Amino acid sequence: MPESVPSSLIIDAFKEIFQAERRGNARQDPLGWIISVPDTHQKTVLAALDKERSLRVITCSTEDDANAVAAGLYMTGEPVIVMIQHAGLYASVNTIRGISMDGKVPIFYMIGLLQREKDRDPKDSRHSMVRFAEPLLDVFGIPHARMEGPDDVKLIPEYYRKSRERSGPAAVLVGLETA
Amino acid sequence: MMKPEEVLAAIAAARGGAICVPTMTTGPAWRKLAPGDLSVGCVGFMGGAAAMGLGLALGAPDRRVIVFDGDGSLLMQLGSLATIAGAAPRNFTHLLFKNGVYHTSGSQETPGGPGVDFAAMAKAAGYRNAYTITSLDEFTKRLPGFLGEDGPIMVQLITGLAESTPMTAGPSTPFHQQVADLRARITGAR
Repeated sequence: MPESVPSSLIIDAFKEIFQAERRGNARQDPLGWIISVPDTHQKTVLAALDKERSLRVITCSTEDDANAVAAGLYMTGEPVIVMIQHAGLYASVNTIRGISMDGKVPIFYMIGLLQREKDRDPKDSRHSMVRFAEPLLDVFGIPHARMEGPDDVKLIPEYYRKSRERSGPAAVLVGLETA
Repeated sequence: MMKPEEVLAAIAAARGGAICVPTMTTGPAWRKLAPGDLSVGCVGFMGGAAAMGLGLALGAPDRRVIVFDGDGSLLMQLGSLATIAGAAPRNFTHLLFKNGVYHTSGSQETPGGPGVDFAAMAKAAGYRNAYTITSLDEFTKRLPGFLGEDGPIMVQLITGLAESTPMTAGPSTPFHQQVADLRARITGAR
């Protein structure tokens, strides 16, 4: 059975990624950038990020904005993570294709599966928003994994690295609402 | 009516080390004026120029970032005005080339037509300042101020149509190559 992941574990994972990216870099402030469109599923992470002085959060009007802001930051050498919801994935498909895939911009996404039922695999969900997220990522050939509990936090650095290695998108889906 | 090519030539002469983000009909003319420099076009995701410029401005606070947006383009991602205002980059100049039509796709009128006031929208969204310019002479005189003033600012430029569009101009450098080139130039310059 899946479990909620505490926000502190997720933020620690973000920081470790950014610290590794910043090693030897003259610029250390902010340590890294979180580009988000608010997601109910990850709201505890977003609330905790508000108190993080070392990370800068940019809240965007749309996921299209989030992708483009992330691309701009990437071009300046800044480390970025994008946090969105499955509905935002659907809303920004053309921008993901144009920027992260065709533009070969490595963008790592945390995607909340809002309304995912705890006792069901997402493919069997009653909610189309939950059912279609992973198949859509498959259609676009975007590597992804589902974070189903605290032990899966290791997927965050793993898929961040994948985005860098393939110069494109990679995603971790947040299975249950974060704690 | 200002010619986009004349506006761009004035910018090319005054920009210094600014990063420039052309989109749609400003792309072909800008390529001729400033080939292989600190520029990246918004290609393949119409509407994203301003948000991409925001990312560049946040990541390179020591440089000016100038976005050459279009009215039809900005309408596709109008919420970016609030995103930019919220992030409040001081080094951000948003030039809005307003011709009232979707020139590239056959000059269909944009929703609301020429009456839509993007400068008023930007100001209402929270930009530090927003201006409307109708003559090249006035633009040229005020350009140093637009590139030095604390941003984010918008300058709405009332223009005619460009001589070429991305559909009539020859092929451009692929977007992924532009991204790689600009990243190398910016990070290599640090």
